[in-house]
Amino acid sequence: MAAVKRITKELAEFSGNPVPGVSAGLVSEDNVFKWNVILTGPQGSPYSGGVFTLNLTLPTEYPFKPPTLNFTTKIYHPNVSNDDKGSMCLGILRSDSWKPSCKIAQVLEMAAGLLKEPNVDDAVETSIADEYKNNPESFEKTAREWTRKYAK
Amino acid sequence: MAPPRSTRSSLQSVDLRALDYLTSPSANLLCPICHSPLITPVQTQCLHTFCSACISLSLERSLTCPVDRKPLNHDDVTPAPIMIANLVNDLVVLCPNREKGCPTTCARWLVESHVREDCGYATVKCVKDGCDGMVERREAEEECVHEEVECAFCQGVMRKLDLESHPKECPKLSSDCPYCSESFPNPELADHKLVCPAEVIDCAASHFGCTYSSRRSELDQHLSGCHFVALTPILQLHTERIETLELENKAIRQKLDLLLPPRPLPSQSSAGASSDPNDANSAGRDMTSEMQDYTYHLYSEYEQLRSDFERLNVQIRELDVKQDMARINEGLRYNDEMTGVRAAINGLRMQLHWLLASRRETGTGGAGAGGARSVAGSSVSGDARRMSDSARQVVKL
Repeated sequence: MAAVKRITKELAEFSGNPVPGVSAGLVSEDNVFKWNVILTGPQGSPYSGGVFTLNLTLPTEYPFKPPTLNFTTKIYHPNVSNDDKGSMCLGILRSDSWKPSCKIAQVLEMAAGLLKEPNVDDAVETSIADEYKNNPESFEKTAREWTRKYAK
Repeated sequence: MAPPRSTRSSLQSVDLRALDYLTSPSANLLCPICHSPLITPVQTQCLHTFCSACISLSLERSLTCPVDRKPLNHDDVTPAPIMIANLVNDLVVLCPNREKGCPTTCARWLVESHVREDCGYATVKCVKDGCDGMVERREAEEECVHEEVECAFCQGVMRKLDLESHPKECPKLSSDCPYCSESFPNPELADHKLVCPAEVIDCAASHFGCTYSSRRSELDQHLSGCHFVALTPILQLHTERIETLELENKAIRQKLDLLLPPRPLPSQSSAGASSDPNDANSAGRDMTSEMQDYTYHLYSEYEQLRSDFERLNVQIRELDVKQDMARINEGLRYNDEMTGVRAAINGLRMQLHWLLASRRETGTGGAGAGGARSVAGSSVSGDARRMSDSARQVVKL
């Protein structure tokens, strides 16, 4: 199966050349479609010091359909839905802007980038996005508190 | 004599996408969809290249180019230039039977025929008519290895292929233990060897210096009285500690070397040391450590130079920007001045025109009067010229 081959290749590439602040591996050796991802909160962001775990799920149609990213650690972020799914909204993950030439490493790099700088134009949690825009101090305070509470 | 190989071609198919390449191929030769080197490359209208199979799969899902998402139809996909196909076909791959032991590497376009006709590790059909068994080509002798035979000792029925390795497992065959010379059935021998009471083994603390060795059965006696064994826990602890300290020491030394100012060159110190022949050995050691230090110094110096260089680069860039700004400012200033001067010149020209025009006007009105007025209004020099003129006239006269 083409998908398995490409994913195995990408996993090997990622292990050989990992994205800083991101570690990733398979949930279980016999299923390449489910990845465990660990993001470390970047320095200088309200998430600094936190460790966030995510599930990366690849569709069987990969690379023709985009993967999905879900936070299993609660996080206060405009681009992560504040429910038990914790789905992350990333521009390139939307099916109309996904391209088969995009790589998982790029996706993870962008996810790590969003922790550094949330993207309010792509927000799923509009109230958090508004707070981030209009009242950054209170946003940072809550985000830091959540990081301390859930991501240690 | 081995049978001519080409008579039996292997049915093993080669999955080109699963091949391993001798060197990692250029990223330009990878298909953006499967990230493997292109297989039967095709080109789209928007000049992107894909594997033929990959782009078909992609077009089944969406009629757009997978790279730039421009609209794309099946008809817009044409075979890629032959040069690209040749480039990927010439990539050197490892034989797909490498894990079974085939060391062959060849160009990718040859690998299928290698597996079909040459590879000794490819599976081929058994020589015997009517036998459906498969066998690796190198093992395919003239007779069928799938015939069932009986073990002469245990009467077990097995394929001829497995008979070779059977004696090690045959429960009816027994061998002698090399230590106690007792006989055991073959399957049990390996287990027995691990516990044979007659095997001569070293004391458990041999790596700490105990030289005692005896039969396994008698070793217990020694172990209860051996000083080394009694000391083992503490010795172990010490060894571990020394190891961690050594590591730490090494790390600290490296840090120190980076911080210290460079020492004199090793050639000087080694020249001094080698003057004493008795010390040749230690001098050699000194020299290697000195060399190592020197490398560190070089390295740190290199780092320093690099950072200096980077700093200078930044400064130069800043200066460039500053100079550009200054130049632009000056240019603007000159421009302003220029326009001022130009305006002034224009004003002067206008005035001149006006003057000339008015003079011409008055000249046509009454030349004599104008001339008189101009003589009357002209400066002393004008008068002087007039005078000189008249003087000349006088001379002429």
